[in-house]
Amino acid sequence: MFNLPRRALLIAKRDYLTSVGTKTFLFGLVIFPLTFGGGVAAVVLIKARPDLRDRHVALIDRSGKLADFAMQAVAARNAAEMYETKTGLQVSPLYVIEPVAPELGDPNSQRLALSDRVRRGELFGFIEVGDAGDAASVYTNAGAIDKFKAWVTGAINDAVKMERLTESGIERSRAPAMLAAVMVDDLDLVTRDARTGAIREPVKRDKVAAMVVPISAMLLLLMIAMMGSVPMLSAVTEDKSQRIAEMLLGIATPHELMMGKVMAGVAHSLTASILYVAVGTVALIGFQVAGLAPVSLLPWFYVYLVAEVTMLCALSAALGAACNTPQEAQNLVMVVLAPVLIPVLVMLLVINEPNGPLATAMSLFPPFTPLLMMMRQTMPGGVPPWQPLVGLAGILLWVAAGVWAASRIFRVAILMQGQPPRLADLARWAVRG
Amino acid sequence: MTAVEISSVTKTFGSVTAVDNLTLTVPEGSVYGFIGPNGSGKTTTMRMIVNIFYPDSGSIRVLGRQMTSARSENIGYLPEERGLYRSMAVKPLLEFYGELRGGRNVSADVDYWLQRLGLAEWGSRRVESLSKGMTQRVQFIAAVIPAPKLLILDEPFAGLDPVNADLVRDAIMDLRRRGATVILSTHDMRIAETMCDSIFMIFRGKKVLDGTLESIQSEYGNDTIRVSLEGGAAAVEELPGVEEIRDLGQVQELRISRECDTQEVLRMLMERTRIDSFAVTKPALHDIFVRIAGAPDSRAAHV
Repeated sequence: MFNLPRRALLIAKRDYLTSVGTKTFLFGLVIFPLTFGGGVAAVVLIKARPDLRDRHVALIDRSGKLADFAMQAVAARNAAEMYETKTGLQVSPLYVIEPVAPELGDPNSQRLALSDRVRRGELFGFIEVGDAGDAASVYTNAGAIDKFKAWVTGAINDAVKMERLTESGIERSRAPAMLAAVMVDDLDLVTRDARTGAIREPVKRDKVAAMVVPISAMLLLLMIAMMGSVPMLSAVTEDKSQRIAEMLLGIATPHELMMGKVMAGVAHSLTASILYVAVGTVALIGFQVAGLAPVSLLPWFYVYLVAEVTMLCALSAALGAACNTPQEAQNLVMVVLAPVLIPVLVMLLVINEPNGPLATAMSLFPPFTPLLMMMRQTMPGGVPPWQPLVGLAGILLWVAAGVWAASRIFRVAILMQGQPPRLADLARWAVRG
Repeated sequence: MTAVEISSVTKTFGSVTAVDNLTLTVPEGSVYGFIGPNGSGKTTTMRMIVNIFYPDSGSIRVLGRQMTSARSENIGYLPEERGLYRSMAVKPLLEFYGELRGGRNVSADVDYWLQRLGLAEWGSRRVESLSKGMTQRVQFIAAVIPAPKLLILDEPFAGLDPVNADLVRDAIMDLRRRGATVILSTHDMRIAETMCDSIFMIFRGKKVLDGTLESIQSEYGNDTIRVSLEGGAAAVEELPGVEEIRDLGQVQELRISRECDTQEVLRMLMERTRIDSFAVTKPALHDIFVRIAGAPDSRAAHV
């Protein structure tokens, strides 16, 4: 007479077929990767096609002793950095220093005049060295991540050091050689071959893999999870506002109804993931970088994906049930997205120090575990083996508690009309049912 | 055998008591009419029977089982506020609801009901393309596939034209003949009088009427005189013993006090005017309803 899972499965089947059979699903399949991948693609594109136009930089040397050294340092840097050693291709612009005599009177007048030249495009920027020759300022409107400032800082420091070496009696022609940088290789930790027992040769650390792989894994997980869960909020509100929910609740319990919807969201995400993983695999093989893909972590990817989507879908269903109109639901989107947006905000901190206390603690906090642990696991060196297991235990408890609380909110809220959702009500319904 | 047994059930929403200590027994195989003004507790009672709402106190047994949080597949429910997935085609939608209620191979059932309610050609069309009346018939079908043992219909005739109302009425009576128990709410007293074996009226959360039409009318006695007079309603104004005059145009209904003698009323009328017709009757359900719902609190407690 009573058949719990069958009804939830029927609801899941209907919702799933309805959602993947729409143009919105196909549109989402394309638009999500475009949105998330757009930024990465832009960086790659900019890196692949750097601006190689000459950069004219004015130099005001108020100390009166650095200009010559600066010209020498810039020439040395241009020679060392403009061309790639292997290919001979230009990879950096030519920097051209234009010495400008300091004007008497208000220094800001000269600064303004040079700034206007920068605005007109005649100069890329200008440098001002202080009276004592031990401090300098750089003026430019270059982008925040442009290498200009770092480049200028290096050149000015080289000039100052050359001047100091010369002052201390070292022949000026020898100064550049004394300042020549030592190349430091960035290598992965040495490992032993598990099969033969032999110690492997040190391998140069792949910076692309160290950055791109964890970010891509996390963003892919985030993107697919959002595809299945974000539409849930408005879909449940729509069921409620169009009076479909009561008809369904005459046949299925609120818990069955919500579970059906959550299962549909998970199935939706899994469908998208299969497509993306398949297309991604073909692309990696096509670009001959298949080795970058952390295939061994694929099972973890799916564990985290199912957990993340279940959590987000349950939250969306509960909040959607509490809303009366799609507009009210829209206002709550940020609440649903909080568990995925916070990991995105700390992404760079985690990349910088993947096994630091902050990254470890946050990745063991269940709402953030799927995204942050996935990211840390894909980084060179990975994480201690116990951490994913502890994280998984936390997720399971969190998801179970979340679904339980969400189904209680859903049951109470789904037939309520008129009142917009308040946090206090949601908390009360979750606790008391 | 009883289909529904409600014992001392109370349901409150905040400070509002929607259903107050209600006890009601619905016999198996009967058609039970729920009447009452808007907001009196009919829908809340029905939702508790279907188990959408849980009572704060008291108990409900449905088809011999104590209600739990699970749903029974033997109950068909048509809510007052209608809603269907608008982008779905009619037949797949009905099959979905049928399967959800435990039906296996419900396609033939769906075809039968679509044919019976004049929707055979609309099975492949989307719900959003249907008229309001058609949508209501589709929703009715969704409540009766597969054939339920208990059918709960909240305002099943609201918004239906007479032809469609007859179709739905015939379908309900047919289901009843096949053994289903039917609980329906209505604001149409004529439907309650003609279709229902028993009538239950709820007012401000409390039961104020419960029984067959005959027993309810008997409680009020033969206190109604239906007359057709020369001069119309003006001829009966300020007639001693008449508590209320209802002018229906060609006919006037007079409600007389319990101690008033109908022969005396007839004699007084004959003295005043010419009488075309004179009949002593029991009050209509409509009249009883209005007496309860339109009366001050003291008179509402008549039963």
